[in-house]
Amino acid sequence: MAKDPRVCRLEELDGPKSKQELDEMKMPYEDYCRAAFAPGGEFSRPLSLKGIRWLSTTMYIFTPHSVSNLAELGAEVIKVEMPRMGDPMRHCAPFNETYLYPLHDTRPMTGTGMGYLNANPNEYHITMDYHLDEMKEAFYRLVKMSDGLTECYRPGTFDRWKQSYRYLIEMNPRFIYVWGGGFGYGPKVFGGSYDILGQAHAGLASVTGMHEFMGGHCTKHSNWCIDWYSGTQITFGILAAIHWRRKTGLGTMIEFSQVQAATRCLGYAAPLYGRFGIVRQRWGNWDTQLCVHGIILAGKSDYPDAINPQDRLDARYVMVSAFNDPDFKELCEVIKKPDLYSRYQKHKDRVEGEAQVEIYAALEEWAKDKSRGDVVRILQGAGLLAEPVMNDREVYECEHYRLRGTIRWQDDPIFGDVLAMGSYGAGLMSKTPRRLYWIWRPVGADNVKIYHELLGYPTAKIEEWYSKAMI
Amino acid sequence: MCDIIWCKKMVDGKPCNTVNYLDPYCFWNWEGKVNCAECGTVYYIHMIQGHMYKGPEERPGEKPDTSPLYADKPLDGYSNYSPGVEGRTRPFECLPRHIYLGVPDMRKFSIRGRPLRGWRPQPPDGGIAGSYKFNWDLKRLSPEVWEEYQRMLRDGEVKDW
Repeated sequence: MAKDPRVCRLEELDGPKSKQELDEMKMPYEDYCRAAFAPGGEFSRPLSLKGIRWLSTTMYIFTPHSVSNLAELGAEVIKVEMPRMGDPMRHCAPFNETYLYPLHDTRPMTGTGMGYLNANPNEYHITMDYHLDEMKEAFYRLVKMSDGLTECYRPGTFDRWKQSYRYLIEMNPRFIYVWGGGFGYGPKVFGGSYDILGQAHAGLASVTGMHEFMGGHCTKHSNWCIDWYSGTQITFGILAAIHWRRKTGLGTMIEFSQVQAATRCLGYAAPLYGRFGIVRQRWGNWDTQLCVHGIILAGKSDYPDAINPQDRLDARYVMVSAFNDPDFKELCEVIKKPDLYSRYQKHKDRVEGEAQVEIYAALEEWAKDKSRGDVVRILQGAGLLAEPVMNDREVYECEHYRLRGTIRWQDDPIFGDVLAMGSYGAGLMSKTPRRLYWIWRPVGADNVKIYHELLGYPTAKIEEWYSKAMI
Repeated sequence: MCDIIWCKKMVDGKPCNTVNYLDPYCFWNWEGKVNCAECGTVYYIHMIQGHMYKGPEERPGEKPDTSPLYADKPLDGYSNYSPGVEGRTRPFECLPRHIYLGVPDMRKFSIRGRPLRGWRPQPPDGGIAGSYKFNWDLKRLSPEVWEEYQRMLRDGEVKDW
């Protein structure tokens, strides 16, 4: 060891202490990663958030996702739903695939849709009408034995029901309370939010979509990306709050506006305006800062005979990146347009709007008699960066994702055979990996577990509450 | 936003007056013939980057290559043709039409042939206060699906991936 303990030299560290360690150190990096992450071996490893208990009075995706992240990392999350009804997201099925399971035995023809998947894994599902006086005791008792709560009601609703942060902190000073809503406090305090509202009101949708030249309009992302993004941001806040509590012993309140979250995705838009007064525009599949760096349309699908129209018609897009000068020169040679290079030799010239219009048109003209695969092969063969824009099926069949375990089949205890990606695609952890126990549970499935086994209420009491639709 | 063909073809002495919606996605860069959902008149169009470059021009006697996404008759109240009306409008191309039936699709097996447990109606099996058991016991609660699964296993219809 170095004499000064603050100095660390790799060559002076102790070597491997066992043959196992020696073998590990000799492993090529690829093998080391495969052994370290070992998809499928998650369940034999420790859980980083074991011991944390969290309450979730959430709906739809944004706030549920904030706590499902905790559940995937090992926290015990208790989701509270409306008696008989459940989370409204259960009814938001994609319209050709619904009714995964009877919602409840009182409404056996009503089901849970695919839209509910991924947002509530590993959670215990109970029902409680917690604004009733009769249920307050049970709710407060849960608060006392939990680390935190995430809610998504209109601002002040929980306050009116005497279960907001300022009440709960009196019962449990270590309590971490999250309100996730639309606009947050301020002049628009009563505005609710959906993902699309967040995308629109934060200015995000205005920079997403096709430029006017391309016949375009602003576009929201089809998936509810701001729901997922905001939920993850809340999780980040919760983890920081847990760390703060370890240092101080005190809880905290997190107030999170979905509308504001999407502004963070705007990158340099606000600084750009602040400095120059320029309002950032949408520019479709191209990039305002780099050229060539975008997505082009090839003339032919890779699967012209496929039954599925997304394969047959849509497997035609290619992502191409050749923005530095030598790469652009090579690209122009490949598409046999040396004049393009002679006119736009410098990046600052070709990144201009008019130049991009011409360059991408030339690329698509070149690609119009080629399939997506041809375009990728030719460009990659020339040493350029090009990748197909893959659809979901191709992602599902992609060996890369399968090998990493980020997409995998799982036998869910209730749902059955499910192709899962949410948990495992959210980052690999070698010592305390995320894992998926179950994708969701029916409404009230864990009423007895929580009310009887955790809180100790007699089953007669639970049956009484149930008969009165209080749970 | 999408372009339209407002069909003015005279039918029985009256204009057809049907608005045929050309879904921007599939007509974005497209040249071909598309029918009117009401009267069947075939129009040639050529769209570039979402703009009508040529047409609509009538092509009597010719067969359409495709159909509008949906159509309505705005001067006629709210009568319309939904997407996927055979011979009039085309199905959503974003969904595999051969499995899109327009009704909730109760799948009993995943695409690799392993059993799902999520169809209706299912026998109510809630315990106290709707507390379901942790596992759906397929053999006991859905014996007919279990039987079918055994047959699929025998016939090699079940895949690992």
